[in-house]
Amino acid sequence: MTVEMDRTASPDVARVASQELTSLMADVAQGDRHALHQVYERTSAKLFGICLRVLDDRADAEDVLQTVYVTVWTKAGSFDPDKASAITWLAAMTRNRAIDRLRQRRPSTDDLESAAEIPDERPSAVDIIERAEDRARLHECLDELDEDRRTMIRAAFLEGTTYPQLAESKGVPLPTVKSWMRRALLRLRGCMES
Amino acid sequence: MSDRRDDIEGEGVVAAEYALGLLEGAEYATARTREASDNAFAHEVARWRGYLAPLHDGIDDVAPPASHWDRVQTAIRRVSPANDNDLRLRRSLNFWRSTTAGMTAVAAVLGFLLVMKPRPAPIPPTVAAVQAPVPAEQTPPMVAIASGRTAATVVISWDPNTRELVLGTAGTLAADPKHSHQLWVIPAGGRPRSLGVLPAGKTTHQQLASALADLLQQGATIAISLEPRGGSPTGAPTGPVVASGALSPA
Repeated sequence: MTVEMDRTASPDVARVASQELTSLMADVAQGDRHALHQVYERTSAKLFGICLRVLDDRADAEDVLQTVYVTVWTKAGSFDPDKASAITWLAAMTRNRAIDRLRQRRPSTDDLESAAEIPDERPSAVDIIERAEDRARLHECLDELDEDRRTMIRAAFLEGTTYPQLAESKGVPLPTVKSWMRRALLRLRGCMES
Repeated sequence: MSDRRDDIEGEGVVAAEYALGLLEGAEYATARTREASDNAFAHEVARWRGYLAPLHDGIDDVAPPASHWDRVQTAIRRVSPANDNDLRLRRSLNFWRSTTAGMTAVAAVLGFLLVMKPRPAPIPPTVAAVQAPVPAEQTPPMVAIASGRTAATVVISWDPNTRELVLGTAGTLAADPKHSHQLWVIPAGGRPRSLGVLPAGKTTHQQLASALADLLQQGATIAISLEPRGGSPTGAPTGPVVASGALSPA
């Protein structure tokens, strides 16, 4: 069964589920396999959804999901509940892993050599700082951007779309799309921090 | 702060571009390397990940196939053996097996320290022992793994019972002749206290005075800063922290 921790769950249910997951993560960090199974039961549908959305391929998504839980097993101790909720940490790590896989599968066309030389230095457990107020704020701040920029930000986040791909799909030069996105991201940051 | 310049041409938004996944090729490789080596950049990336996290809510849940959990279990058995009941050993094994190739040397040092510092065998419950003055309860040894802006990782092993601090270095802590590395303990909520300048060498032992020893509690941070040769002139860290880690039970 998957515990819903999104906006559809009542605040109390979500809070209790979140606390339980945090406590399970602490047990996993102590080497408790049963706790890992519990974490899997509660989170695998969400995390598999992320893998599938980014990779759009079931076999790849299953591979990445497996590496995610191996990382949970070995790195649960690096999860810091003061920085982010467990589900947010897991989701961010999963997305990173899925995007890494996407990059391996689809090396940059203009830069094959350097793509092949990407060092494996990304920490396998992800660092993320989440504040409660950011959650509501992001959607407000995205709404302040042009529809087109908002769509591009979502495409990059949810599908791993890169600058060159955005430039191609928009039919504009790479520097143009970079300039658009940088302005949008600076504006987004200004709004998030205001 | 210089790492948050708002110029449209560069620095200010690289963390956002990287966290969002826009970069590829050399730009991606550079940002990824930087995340591992530049604390300020990594912090900015972590904040952007937090900003963007609500976008995950827009993704539908999909249950993985029922057989998938078996795959996960098989993979986990490969990284840690099943018939190992000693939690402490298992955790060090997990650490050993899970770290990437670059960290293997660190694990070797950790293993070395754990082997070199066995806990004393418990006193057999004989009549003589019961009648003898009750020995102070043994406090478990602790370990901190300090890493950060340096290629080296320092494993610090602390035995509160003997007040012995053992340091093992994997990689090289590079300092030019004008600088020294200085070791600090930062108690939770407290100020840094010097544990001395690090001598050259891979492994060092030192015994701490009891006043300092009391500061090395679980949760305290062990940090290494770069200081003028011979150590900080002020008694507090003056240079950049090149590595740090928290003390936890071994």
